[in-house]
Amino acid sequence: MKREAGWWLVLPACAVVGLTLLAPVLYTAALSFANYSLAGRGSTSWAGVSHYLGLLGDEEFRVSLVNTLVFAFVTVPAELVMGLALAVLIHRSFRGRGLVRLAVLFPWALPTALNAIMWRWMYNTDYGLFNAVLLQAGLIEQPVNWLGTIPTAMISMMIVAVWKTSSFMALLLLAGLQAIPEELYESGQIDGATGWAAFRRITLPLLRPSILVAVLLRGMDAFRAFELPMNLTGGGPINTTETLSLYAYKVLFQFVDFDYGSSVVMVQFLVLFGLSVLYIRALRAET
Amino acid sequence: MKLVYAISPREVGAVTQQLLDRFMAQHPDIEVEWLKVPGVPGEQHSLYVNQLTGASSTPDVIALDVIWPGEFAANGWVAPLDTYFTRDDLRDFLPGMLGAAVQNGKIYAIPLYINGLHLYYRKDLLAKYGFEPPRTWEELIHQAQVIVQGEKDPNLRGFVSMWAKIEGLFMNYLQFLWGAGGRFFGPDGRVAVNGPEGVKALQTMVDMIYRYRIAPESVLTYRPDDARVLFQQGRAVFMVVQDFVWPMLTGPDSPVKDKVDFTRVPYFEGHAEAKTTALGGWLLAINANSRHKKEAAELIRFLTSYEAMLRTAVVTGNLPARSSVYRDPELTRAFPAALKQFADFEVGDVRPSAVAGPKYPQLSEIMQVEVTSALYRRKTPQQALNDAASRIEALLGR
Repeated sequence: MKREAGWWLVLPACAVVGLTLLAPVLYTAALSFANYSLAGRGSTSWAGVSHYLGLLGDEEFRVSLVNTLVFAFVTVPAELVMGLALAVLIHRSFRGRGLVRLAVLFPWALPTALNAIMWRWMYNTDYGLFNAVLLQAGLIEQPVNWLGTIPTAMISMMIVAVWKTSSFMALLLLAGLQAIPEELYESGQIDGATGWAAFRRITLPLLRPSILVAVLLRGMDAFRAFELPMNLTGGGPINTTETLSLYAYKVLFQFVDFDYGSSVVMVQFLVLFGLSVLYIRALRAET
Repeated sequence: MKLVYAISPREVGAVTQQLLDRFMAQHPDIEVEWLKVPGVPGEQHSLYVNQLTGASSTPDVIALDVIWPGEFAANGWVAPLDTYFTRDDLRDFLPGMLGAAVQNGKIYAIPLYINGLHLYYRKDLLAKYGFEPPRTWEELIHQAQVIVQGEKDPNLRGFVSMWAKIEGLFMNYLQFLWGAGGRFFGPDGRVAVNGPEGVKALQTMVDMIYRYRIAPESVLTYRPDDARVLFQQGRAVFMVVQDFVWPMLTGPDSPVKDKVDFTRVPYFEGHAEAKTTALGGWLLAINANSRHKKEAAELIRFLTSYEAMLRTAVVTGNLPARSSVYRDPELTRAFPAALKQFADFEVGDVRPSAVAGPKYPQLSEIMQVEVTSALYRRKTPQQALNDAASRIEALLGR
């Protein structure tokens, strides 16, 4: 009887999750196997896996998938290193620590779209901040075309991502750092573990859970990158900075191709889901 | 009864409520609600697609970007207007704009206001070197080279425009194509960009960057406002962008306010008859599921009338889509450049959106990608345009 009551109690929560999370996913999945035409009132017929076969021959889809993976696998580790360095820095007590913590939060607090537009101005070849400074300092002879050459545009985009999200990483890791008892370091000192050794043998192992969560969250975000390429490069030059989300947006909302667009989104969802499962299982195996 | 009118406040917002109040005063039985849609055309497009595929009966009257009527009509989202507007009613409108709204011989939208691309130039620099404003691309290239070499200013560029991978790049390419005597679709209805005119057009764009070196390589990242900023700082001789830049370029705090003028987009030697101005603008259409089509047509008739267009132009600077309004002294007083712009519109044409219908966004995307590939020298112009032609033919299911 008690068990049954428990089921009733969680039912509303399950219903909400089902309606808001599962239903749209299932609807998108269904659309990706349909021919859905918008003419008139929209007519539907069964398409089987033809959209998915279409993806196989879709050059732009392939390029945007590769771009997304490259973007995620480069930026996330870089953000982790930067974030960890920042976290260790602001974990120490020094005068003005509050201010520094605020400053670290700043990039994360800016909306991504605004951030991208701001950087677009700084990167501008002809009157941007970076070229002005570098030319003044005599470090370059000719202005650098940051967002207009391959692969510089992708690198420039990665720099913006790392700048923005290292601070978020730092915050997550700072919480982890503050949970490590001070006594451990003290006993470590007695055993002669100071500085680097203490970091390697005490901090890193105990910070692992925080690191793993931070990497998972950021990895998912990076894999869904949209506002940044949209507002910084528009996916250019050619398609070299086009991400999966950007491509999906184009197919769904510019071409109004709901059925084919759904198959793009489904593949994105499955790849992300697969990567997350692998990652979480790797965690379990280790602990 | 109530009508819902959807248009963004971004361009004609300052005059819209006034006009609606006047309309309601004349029609006491009709109430008009103004639905203020977002200013970004892409967002409006998504919004309308959602509403119209859901067969919603509102908004009754919808403002469409010039490249949408073909798609909306082909999908049956907007109603034909031939029963409400006779040929005589439409005689005054610029034919290019009307052409964008025709599907299978029926008219689906009425032009509201119009804009286009112009060639902006530094009249002080041209005078200094004894040049007349260029009529042809050949003249423009020569003048830009002479002036840039003569000025010896490392920061001065010969030519800037909006050649980032955006809709504006396709407009730019079309202007070169038309100016070489080419058309997007040939007489047989097939894509004709990979013919000699299309290749000459694209080769010229490539050469302006790498061979004549009058356009910086960074032009490939430029959107309209990026070009405008550079030109306004006095760092470019020529610029091709839309007309929204004129008030900024001539504003009191503009460094080039007394040094700038504009003329029609050039053509290639031997093609003086070519129409080279890529037109933009907005039209009004009626939702196919509207329950008040007759009243909606009345509202459109009012908003596209001589009086309303004059008011719109004087208050907001968005120019009339009717030829006759340009002869009105009130317009020329309020907006001295209007007549000059109109002369450029008269040698204008619209993008091939009526023919492409719902496939237009993809057609434009393919052109943007292939033109960009050539501008980055990843493909030769011939290769890029062959690829574009075969991809677009496949897209149109031929």
